[in-house]
Amino acid sequence: MTSALETPVITLIGPPNSGKTTIFNILSGKNYKTVNYPGSTVEYYTSRILAKYNIHAELLDSPGLISLIPESLDEKITIDSLYHHPTLGTPHLLIATVDASQLSRHLLLPVQLLKSGFNVIIALTMNDILQKRKVTISIEKLSKELGCSVIQINGRTKEGMGKLISTMNSSLESIRNNGKQKPVPYEQVVPNNSLVDTFLEIERITNKVLEFKVDNHNINLKNANNQLKVHPSILQNNGFTTDEITLKLDRVLLHKYWGFLIFILVMGLTFTSIFWLAQPLMDLVDELFSGLNNIVLTNFQIGWFSNLVAEGIISGVGSVLVFVPQIIILFVILGVLEDSGYLARGAMLIDKPLSKIGLNGRSFVPMLSGFACAIPAMLAARTIPNRKERLLTIFIIPLMSCSARLPVFALLIAYLVPRDKLWLGGFLLAGIYLFGITISIVIAALLNKFRQKLFKVEDSSTFILELPTYRLPKLSSVLSHTYNSSKEYLLRAGPVILIFSILLWFLVYFPDTNPKIETDGLTKTQISQVEKFERLEHSYAASIGKFIQPVMSPLGMDWRIGVSLISAFAAREVFVSSLALTFKVTAEEEASQKTLLNSLRSATIGNTGQKLFTTATTLGLIVFFIFALQCISTIAVSRKETGGWKIPAVQVFVFTSLAYFMALFTVNGLRLIGIE
Amino acid sequence: MKTAAELNYGERGTIAEIDCAHPSSRRILEFGFTPGQVIELISRATFNDPIAILIRGSLIAIRKSEADCIKLK
Repeated sequence: MTSALETPVITLIGPPNSGKTTIFNILSGKNYKTVNYPGSTVEYYTSRILAKYNIHAELLDSPGLISLIPESLDEKITIDSLYHHPTLGTPHLLIATVDASQLSRHLLLPVQLLKSGFNVIIALTMNDILQKRKVTISIEKLSKELGCSVIQINGRTKEGMGKLISTMNSSLESIRNNGKQKPVPYEQVVPNNSLVDTFLEIERITNKVLEFKVDNHNINLKNANNQLKVHPSILQNNGFTTDEITLKLDRVLLHKYWGFLIFILVMGLTFTSIFWLAQPLMDLVDELFSGLNNIVLTNFQIGWFSNLVAEGIISGVGSVLVFVPQIIILFVILGVLEDSGYLARGAMLIDKPLSKIGLNGRSFVPMLSGFACAIPAMLAARTIPNRKERLLTIFIIPLMSCSARLPVFALLIAYLVPRDKLWLGGFLLAGIYLFGITISIVIAALLNKFRQKLFKVEDSSTFILELPTYRLPKLSSVLSHTYNSSKEYLLRAGPVILIFSILLWFLVYFPDTNPKIETDGLTKTQISQVEKFERLEHSYAASIGKFIQPVMSPLGMDWRIGVSLISAFAAREVFVSSLALTFKVTAEEEASQKTLLNSLRSATIGNTGQKLFTTATTLGLIVFFIFALQCISTIAVSRKETGGWKIPAVQVFVFTSLAYFMALFTVNGLRLIGIE
Repeated sequence: MKTAAELNYGERGTIAEIDCAHPSSRRILEFGFTPGQVIELISRATFNDPIAILIRGSLIAIRKSEADCIKLK
């Protein structure tokens, strides 16, 4: 066990968009753990600094902060943990990132940290942007004014990292010799903290350290203004720190009408590409795993074990991995939009409509991600500072039609649409998505009315967001973000889906009755199909299905659909494979030659000869899937992110009963008007 | 007294004070909206809200209800 002095703790801290993550990635080599502050949903990253830098220290990243005065519960947890981390204690050293092009705003946090008595090294980022505007910062003066080391870093070229490392080393060395400082909470050091005074102090500093390169044919603004005795702040606004290209772009992209139109267009493109780009890849994953499944089933001795490997484990892993292409594509596109600075504008443009239903402009990205998968979407909702709005966003995310529902809709639509009118399928699918969005708006608006009962928190709604300077997205940061989000999905959803599909396999396979069947005149495949059918008919799953038959009957459905609906709780798309399993094997004749669609067409209820999959019941099933919250992983993440069982319980209850009753209404409504 | 929410396109104003009674006032100050600063309205979203304000060389999107507590000279 090493003592605290032997493994020093270094914390990275800084406002959002200050280049903090870039520095963390360089130092950690993107090899980090995600940790929660005890008893909270606030997450941060921790890592060892790469060996090549030769610093033996624990590196902590922290959520973006602009000031040491907490504004929300999450910020309070972050700030408290900065002063005294529950397990790691007080950091020995802080590296505070500051965007040089926004010096006067970003210096607030380091100034507060220094007043609190922390050991701080300032990492000055985005110097290239400032240089383009013909301004430089005198590092010596800034360091002298603040009383701490200041290092210029270029996140793209890694220039300055060497100097940062050596400064970190020498700071740690002096801490080792002189002992660690004991920071005092900022509110105690400066009891009547006045932000206005702090900013005046910062302005005094920035006016000293900023140096202007003057073109020969331009007037020396600083001197001219000094001579005219103009207030220095006017100089700042008039003179230098604005990015002209950003302002020009925003004249279009934030235009009152064009802005919104472009936004809709960008989102439409994003949305369609999630599906069209991902589809071939998803098919590939699907084929790969059904191929593996076949190899196992045909090459190994038939028995419960080979069956478990093929139907339980391989199919289970397949149903986890099939979503990865979509998640990757979504996060690459979102990453590009985010890194370029556009996503913040999108949040601004959509804030007003969303605020009408109790949401926030910042709810937008989580909702969009929900169309790929609810799990990363719920995690993305953390960026919403207002707790009520965050909970409301998490609440409606399951209504965004996630990619797991796509195979289900695809199958049911293929069943409904006649062969000569395939285009109708596209319209139907678009209609399903629009219907889902409309419903989520209605539910959000309704919940907003009754929010006091459900959320019990009432902090004031706020939307103040920095619109970053437009820049070319950096591939490496987009990719590392994508990698982490996909990893998050695999780690969170993967085990649950896998365990559930093994459980489901167990229910379908056991009790392993050794069916006695007439094998005369049957081929080998036919025998195995008949065996499968016999086994299924006597399985635990069938018992459960028959138990819930009374609930299914009013929907015009039978126990086989019931079983498939239950199995869809593992992951919705399991519904399709489960239908395939139950219907292919229960179809009366020539089972092996039937495709799933055909076996659905010929399926009847019991012995009545009444068709099971009619237009009415199929539409009813679609409606059921639009509403139902059938995803164990989503429920688990919702519990974790909302900090309790209450919201996930209400979600399951509300969405499942809505699904059932809306399906009931659809089926019987259609029958009333004569559509079977 | 005119507030930041009442600025027209491209119009500038100098901040006189921030209404401390507003729940967001501290956050607004932390974003750099301090007395004496010159601000400029760059954009209004489609439904006239939120607005984008240029302050200290950065663009900040802010709801009109919050921009209302930024009083101008």
